[in-house]
Amino acid sequence: MPNAAGVGHPPSARRLVSRLSVMARSSSPARLVVALSVAAVLAVFLLYTSLAGGGTPSVSPSELAAKTGEVSLAGRVVGTPTGDAHGAGLKFVLEDIKGANKQRVTVVYKGSVPDLFRVGRDVVVTGTQRADGTFVTKPGSMITKCPSKYQAAKT
Amino acid sequence: MLGAALAVAVVVVVALPFLREPTPDSDALHELDAAERERLEAEEARDRALAALKELEADHRAGRISDEDYRAVVGVLRRDAAEALRELDRVRAMPRGGTRTESAKSA
Amino acid sequence: MAELGRAALVITLGLSAYALVAGAAAAALGRRRLALSARNALIASFFSTLVAAAVLVAGFLRDDFSLAYVAGHSSRALPFAYKLSAFWGGQEGSLLLWLLVLTGYSALAVWFARKRARDLVVWVTPVLGGIAVGFSWLLVGVSSPFDTIPAPADGNGLNPSLQNPYMVAHPVLLYLGYVGLAVPFAFAMGALLSGRMDERWIVATRRWTIVAWTALGVGQLLGAHWAYQEVGWGGYYAWDPVENAALMPWLAATAYLHSVMIQEKRGMLRVWNVTLVSLAFCLSLFGTFLTRSGVVSSIHSFTQSAIGPWFLAFIVVAVVFSVTMIWLRLPQLRTTARLESLVSREATFLYNNLLLVALCLTILWGTAWPIVSEAVRGEAVVVGRPYYDFFLRIFGLPLLLLMGIGPLVAWRRASLRGLARVFAWPAAVAAATGVALIAFGAGSSIPGLIAYTFSAFVLATIALEFSRGTAARRALTGESVPTAFSRLVGRNRRRYGGYVVHASVVLLAIGVAGSSAYDSVVEGKLARGESLAVGGYTLTYRNLTEKDAANATEIRAVLDVRRGGDSLGTIKAGKNAYSVEQQVSNEVGIRSDKLTGEDLFVIAEQVNDDGTVFFRIFVKPLVNLIWLAGLVFVLGSVITLWPDAREERRLATRYATVGERRERTATT
Repeated sequence: MPNAAGVGHPPSARRLVSRLSVMARSSSPARLVVALSVAAVLAVFLLYTSLAGGGTPSVSPSELAAKTGEVSLAGRVVGTPTGDAHGAGLKFVLEDIKGANKQRVTVVYKGSVPDLFRVGRDVVVTGTQRADGTFVTKPGSMITKCPSKYQAAKT
Repeated sequence: MLGAALAVAVVVVVALPFLREPTPDSDALHELDAAERERLEAEEARDRALAALKELEADHRAGRISDEDYRAVVGVLRRDAAEALRELDRVRAMPRGGTRTESAKSA
Repeated sequence: MAELGRAALVITLGLSAYALVAGAAAAALGRRRLALSARNALIASFFSTLVAAAVLVAGFLRDDFSLAYVAGHSSRALPFAYKLSAFWGGQEGSLLLWLLVLTGYSALAVWFARKRARDLVVWVTPVLGGIAVGFSWLLVGVSSPFDTIPAPADGNGLNPSLQNPYMVAHPVLLYLGYVGLAVPFAFAMGALLSGRMDERWIVATRRWTIVAWTALGVGQLLGAHWAYQEVGWGGYYAWDPVENAALMPWLAATAYLHSVMIQEKRGMLRVWNVTLVSLAFCLSLFGTFLTRSGVVSSIHSFTQSAIGPWFLAFIVVAVVFSVTMIWLRLPQLRTTARLESLVSREATFLYNNLLLVALCLTILWGTAWPIVSEAVRGEAVVVGRPYYDFFLRIFGLPLLLLMGIGPLVAWRRASLRGLARVFAWPAAVAAATGVALIAFGAGSSIPGLIAYTFSAFVLATIALEFSRGTAARRALTGESVPTAFSRLVGRNRRRYGGYVVHASVVLLAIGVAGSSAYDSVVEGKLARGESLAVGGYTLTYRNLTEKDAANATEIRAVLDVRRGGDSLGTIKAGKNAYSVEQQVSNEVGIRSDKLTGEDLFVIAEQVNDDGTVFFRIFVKPLVNLIWLAGLVFVLGSVITLWPDAREERRLATRYATVGERRERTATT
């Protein structure tokens, strides 16, 4: 956990608190505490997101070509899946869910396959695209979208 | 049909206050005037001060607060409570509907 | 029947609009009869909504498939209980449930407060009416449950994942929670609108807030239990936007519950409190919006629907309104009371609040970032689990520690020496526990170890509080231990009920830490007779069974379980294939160990044609503490909610003049 007192040898707790208490009596310590805390939270937050990244970009098959690195690919399952997800890998084709210019990409997936996975369902997988165009996924990264429990699909 | 009956029923319910008192003595909403509001706030301040004292005593008895910490705080709390009681007495003694200028009141 | 339902909703819309407009006029102009009329309208709106709800329930029970909603979510073969719960299985029905709870709460709130806070209620009525207008408009004009179609022979049936007791209770409890936050919000706005900045709005809504907060908490635990047992991926919380949607208002409400205590004792933090309660309510609206509008893709994702923009507008109105009212009343809200010391109970509550709000906002950011990113940069992103786990630890672990510190620090200012004395024994217990745990191998996960150590600290402080309080009482009254104990709790329900709630949170923390930081997993494909070993257990796949049930075909793989040479019986895992709904669901096998609270969790991931099955098997230590925590949580809340006759009498005397003393005739 970050040390709020900063670098150097930390003063004894007593001196620190009494010093802050003097500050407290003169101004509003509540505001000081709040301001310091907000600054600390922001600092931690910015540090984390700059190191770990703000998230994986979510793309559709047609946008895949423009991206390198790990992405979250969202698409609709078309064709017939082949292979074994717990063996050499489940191979299926994903197509853009929306848009006029639909493209397809072949995905090789290993790991748990959600029950809802079937042809025609929208799924999201995380992974990277190989040089030969196939999309290789992180094991177990498939999420399917529940067929609307709440609203019939408006096509 | 049932819908119409429901509509009639709710209209009656909504109009009820007017139907019951077609010509009331006063249609004014009883709002707290300044004096009543002050009294309410003074009472709340008194309750707060007394509750704080009571809690300090209970904490001290249960051993959560040491003797020296108790001594350090009890004077302040007793003073607050006395002040709150004085303020309440003053507000109660005031004539109804009187106004006064705002000045620093006890918290 | 559909016409009656539609008419009833139109009537509700009319009544809510009247409550809003006439109520505001009555409050602004000071008209008593108009105010009563507006209040009656608000109460009547509950009954008209009830009629609409009854029509829908009747539609389900009579298999009236001419109602599009019934056809879409029910079928002839559906069991009775699920025909009832299908009411909230879809968007229109859920909105109707929201409105029903809202109008019900509104009616109760204005009725109960009429004696003590009459001048406050006149402003609360239009606020509650305004919220009801929003929802009833959605039901009348945008998304009606009473659309009719030519009746098909049979309905589509209910999604199989909703066909279990959890999904009957979970949405109802969540709504009792979400909507419940509207009441303290309305009273806070009422106080701001009327300029009555005394404590009455807080006193009037204290129990409402606790009930809503408890319902929201229990609802989430039920949802987590459902996810654990029914969805069965091995976890109970996926940081899915819809899950976060319920967690965020709950965190804000937790912060509010605590900071309100400071206002009660010291009269401080008034601005903060009205801001928090507004934040909690706006987050609950936002949560409903997230769940209904499909704006954020999630496992629960719903297709984009027409109500999205309306909801967003609704939230914007609520936010703008709250901010404006707080801004306008800022001078009256400020007090002279100051935080005297950074080492005091007020300060600890402040730290608690800051941590809770920080956690809430980081979750909000993680949930909303995909939408914002897409709108601003044209590129959608997905925020993963590590983000949430990181911030949960950074903010959650200090919060855990503070739960033990806060109750023992004195108000106004506490000396460090005094604190050292008070915390010596619990700190020693915690340190000893930490060392013992390291010896048992808990050092494999530092956050887990910290969570356990802090939990030991908090439990020690709670035990100390109960024992010290009982001892002090006995010293005074000479009662026996059980009598002193029960009298102690009875006389200080809020304090000791609060301790029980804290204990439940600690149990939750231990359960979460155990099952996530110290779990084990193994997976592999097994043919008949083969085994897998994990966490001390050995499981051997015996055979596959297939059975035809009421609306599904049940396939189960049967495994023998052994541990350390002893046979522990069999466990079954497999899948259900639903005929009407054309879906397959995962049916996991769970074996809970009564003694250690750990679960053996078996998933039959893939059943192959040759009879081999790919299994994924978890051992989750202490996971059952999470569900136990739910029970303790409810117990603690009930204790804090229990009416206190002396307190009621005191408040009655205090507020006697504010009640309806100008009654000449009964004007209710």
